[in-house]
Amino acid sequence: MRPPCGVALSLAVLLFARSGQAQPMDRDVPSSPADLPPGVSAVLWKLSVPPQLAPTPERVLLGEKLFNDQRLSVDNTVSCATCHDPRLGFADAKPVSEGVKGQKVTRNSPTLLNALFNASQFWDGRASTLEDQAKLPILNPREMGMPDEAAVVAKVKAIPEYVRDFQKVFNREVNFDDLAVAIAAFERTLYSGNARFDHFITGDAKAFSAAERRGWALFNGKARCNTCHAGNVVSPLFSDQKFHNIGIAAHKTDFPQLAREGLRVVRTGDEKQIDELALETRFSELGRFLVTKQENDVGAFKTPTLRNIAITGPYMHDGSLVTLWDVMDHYNKGGVPNPYLDGGMQRLGLTEAEIDDVVAFLFTLTDEQFAKFATKEQARQRGLKNKRPERDTAVAMGKKGNLGDLAPNPDLAVKNPADIGVYGTEAQVKPASTPKP
Amino acid sequence: MTFRMKLLVGTGAVLSFAGGVALATGPVSPPARGTPAPEVKKHELPVSKDGNLVVGLCDGETSMEVKGVKAGESLTRAQAQHVSGALMEEWLRKNPNAHWDAVPLVAQAPAPGSTTPRTQQPRTPPPSSKGTVREGGVTPESGGAQVKQQLAVPIQDGHTYGAFSDRDEAIWAASTEQFVDEGHRVFHDAKAIGGTVGISCDMCHPDASNTHPETYPKYQVQLGRVALLRDMINWCIENPVRGRPLADGDPRMRAMEAYIYAKRKGVKLEYGKK
Repeated sequence: MRPPCGVALSLAVLLFARSGQAQPMDRDVPSSPADLPPGVSAVLWKLSVPPQLAPTPERVLLGEKLFNDQRLSVDNTVSCATCHDPRLGFADAKPVSEGVKGQKVTRNSPTLLNALFNASQFWDGRASTLEDQAKLPILNPREMGMPDEAAVVAKVKAIPEYVRDFQKVFNREVNFDDLAVAIAAFERTLYSGNARFDHFITGDAKAFSAAERRGWALFNGKARCNTCHAGNVVSPLFSDQKFHNIGIAAHKTDFPQLAREGLRVVRTGDEKQIDELALETRFSELGRFLVTKQENDVGAFKTPTLRNIAITGPYMHDGSLVTLWDVMDHYNKGGVPNPYLDGGMQRLGLTEAEIDDVVAFLFTLTDEQFAKFATKEQARQRGLKNKRPERDTAVAMGKKGNLGDLAPNPDLAVKNPADIGVYGTEAQVKPASTPKP
Repeated sequence: MTFRMKLLVGTGAVLSFAGGVALATGPVSPPARGTPAPEVKKHELPVSKDGNLVVGLCDGETSMEVKGVKAGESLTRAQAQHVSGALMEEWLRKNPNAHWDAVPLVAQAPAPGSTTPRTQQPRTPPPSSKGTVREGGVTPESGGAQVKQQLAVPIQDGHTYGAFSDRDEAIWAASTEQFVDEGHRVFHDAKAIGGTVGISCDMCHPDASNTHPETYPKYQVQLGRVALLRDMINWCIENPVRGRPLADGDPRMRAMEAYIYAKRKGVKLEYGKK
């Protein structure tokens, strides 16, 4: 098996070979790590990692220490790893995250795996870089609860170990910006792309079961997942990194009224105010609107990556959907109608068997290092399969409501939609065989 | 009538014709009298007395015996390049007036006394040459929201799908180049296209020259019928390359089409041109 061209081309200098260097990288173009797995794109790595912020071993080490240190929180109980637990796929398996004093926020903890490739950070994209992102939870009263930047710096400065580390890594005393740079450097090592899917798409046709292969076809065809969860070898995230209103909050929120109120509150707001509104108030449901104040962004949230989706539930920005079957039910009925519903939402008309196939495919996107976790999670979710609060078969099948026509239901024996266009290294893939009836 | 429509009509004609052939040659239907459907022409190669390998040229007439290589054996890349070069020279000698673009060579002056003008069109444009569209994609400043406000439509204004960033465009460009690169690989690899004699596409078409994808569909003499680019690619695979034809949807065929078209960026579409 050949490695994908994109990866092979960029096998260059191994970053970590440049040890003993305390100064920022002085070269213009950083090279990506030489050992990128097949499902990680070297092109995207270069596109996503600013040259001066490429992870150096010293920064990564310090960043990891800070990431796991509960002393960054006001009462020494919460670290970054509390909600981004490495054992739980760098998420927390809770519907919404809990910060200091058991306070709940309003949003679900997104995985940090491949977060370095995101075009923007947070569910509403209110931070454009990992560095900006890393600062906000430390200061949010419901997350790590530190009152302000000065307090964080003073607290870290009181720990001699960090005074030494910051001096060694950044050649100056502790400050908030460098702290964020170190944490972000650690996060830039959290790429993941060694899934069964990657083995399948780079030529191992046997890596998929018949159900998973049917699921991949549905993903690209009738289920229309790839409209927003697009992926290829250059951008293997299965996310368009755009913001869509899919109606998750619509059954509990009067969007137009909330948007009018939100506008009044937000117009004067700075970054910190938006951060607090997003995590504490009912305005959270306005999503991207809080950031852009554009009406069409009301209730819109970022398309998350589907890499490792099976182990990073519960799902959606508020963790309101428990299993991937619930997610499929939500999309199958075309989401929940509201004035700002994304134009791409429509009923899908998927049968139970087809939903099972898509879910089976989604499990193939789990990195091999979490294989055990995924097996457990698959059993757990399957156990809940018959509890389906989101299911509305009548709407999905078009017997009720009016949510438009179905996407064409292709005959796989004639044309498999998974073969349309090119994933990337497709020339190494044997065309999907379809058992003849 | 737009070009696209013509293209569709042309394709339809080819398809229905092929269907007719399939019917006429089916085992059940009796052979049609009077106007038998023309078989696709095949280049019958002479057999070498010494059992040497014989390689055919794409004119369907010329062939060449390779001394020292037995039939059924494969040529090395150097040998194959030598044979294809000799055959092409022979064809040019037989067809002094043929329109055949000079092989693009880097920094080589035209041969002394050459009267063949170099092609006017850029053959290998830089892959990421930009159009006239403003860079940076749609932004809030583009005024999409204001338009909808004027129309008093309080719903999605398409911004979600229209707001493409530099990052998006970089991903699109890299994805496309990746596909083209894959075509480049297949085009230059006799094994990848299933060739049995070691001849690869680039040996007669360096840098995809003289493939003229912009002229399809057109009547292709070697095939004796109207062909699409992929039909001609398959003819080359079957005849000079001596491999088995690829399915229309074969990833290698699609990648080669991508590569060949990419090499003619900026060239005017001119279907039917000979």
